[in-house]
Amino acid sequence: MSNQHIFSLMNNKLLSGIGVVALIIATFYFISPNKNYKDLAKQLKVSYLLHNPDKELPFFSLVDHNNNKFDNNNFKGKWTLLSFIYTHCPDVCPTGLMNMSILKSTLIKRDINIVPNLVTITFDPVRDTPSVLKTYVTYFDKDFLGVSGEQIQINQLIKPFGAYYERVVYAKNGKPAVLKNDEPLPKGVLEFGYLINHTAWIYLLNPDGQIFAGFPPPHNPIKMADDIELLIKNY
Amino acid sequence: MFNKTKKFMLAFITLTILNVSTAMEHHHTNCITTEIVINDPWVRLSPPNAPALGFFMKINNNTDHDIKLLSVNASGYKRIELHRTVAQGDMMKMVKQEFMPIPTKGKLHLKPGSWHIMLIGPKSVLRKGDTVVIDLVFDNGLTKTVHAQVRKGKEMTGNYHRMMH
Repeated sequence: MSNQHIFSLMNNKLLSGIGVVALIIATFYFISPNKNYKDLAKQLKVSYLLHNPDKELPFFSLVDHNNNKFDNNNFKGKWTLLSFIYTHCPDVCPTGLMNMSILKSTLIKRDINIVPNLVTITFDPVRDTPSVLKTYVTYFDKDFLGVSGEQIQINQLIKPFGAYYERVVYAKNGKPAVLKNDEPLPKGVLEFGYLINHTAWIYLLNPDGQIFAGFPPPHNPIKMADDIELLIKNY
Repeated sequence: MFNKTKKFMLAFITLTILNVSTAMEHHHTNCITTEIVINDPWVRLSPPNAPALGFFMKINNNTDHDIKLLSVNASGYKRIELHRTVAQGDMMKMVKQEFMPIPTKGKLHLKPGSWHIMLIGPKSVLRKGDTVVIDLVFDNGLTKTVHAQVRKGKEMTGNYHRMMH
């Protein structure tokens, strides 16, 4: 009886021991994919790994430059290179779009299978209608897809990317005034024009439609191509 | 007789060469000694519906005092403004400038991601290789006219100035 009792005690200990080991293995199993990406992240030259496997991009619905619906599904099934721009931008945005085009040509030469879709979403849908965007973005690369839509949708979408912007209106006396994002445009502003201060990162989204990596400016397309090749081939 | 013609020809050729070379030298020195020298003025080739174009150049100030570029004039634009792209944290700011300072015996390089001139509301579409005639007005009373070429930029070398606060 007592022997049996000892045996069952040992058995319990053994079982709990196995349980602990199983738990440790399970933990390692679940952590290891992240661990691999951490090693990968160390090798990146000009980008940051932003991937969180549990984080989905919130639902959004926009309009592309051919007046087709553009939502989360458009980021699925293929890698996407994404930026946020506005067409009244004379310096940062054209530079960014040109760099994305150079990057695409660089990747094509290396391996056709690692070429992402080129998408750019406007911060400024009031002025950047689908037709305006189509003329503007396809000038930089025929494969570019420009995306416009409702300002509220765009304001929501940019948040998880860490992207942000502010409109700047210059008064007659030359003093700049910053408008809040949800503030309606004052009368006459569209006529005189306004500038937008904004973040200028380029993002890589994975075929699950999740934010995967980010490239801060200034952008070097050759080094970016190195990182993208590394990320896509180790995915 | 033949010899005489030969000598005359030689003298003529020598004189011509001398004349051309001094003229060239004169032209050359003109460029160097000018108070303000503009190098490589260019306008960025942009989409046909681009609402604003970037104009860039190198301004050399050979005078003994600091100068300011006060304004830029060209026909065919709604408005022309002086700007500087400044990085403030992650935010790229377009900061309108009252003037552009060029230090004495120094230079100011207008380039993408930095100091630039905004040609706002172009009335016609510029093509690659077109020339834009632009007047630059400086605070020392000097006005310079430059012929800027329309071309693609070397986009890979944007370096942004950081604004300290």
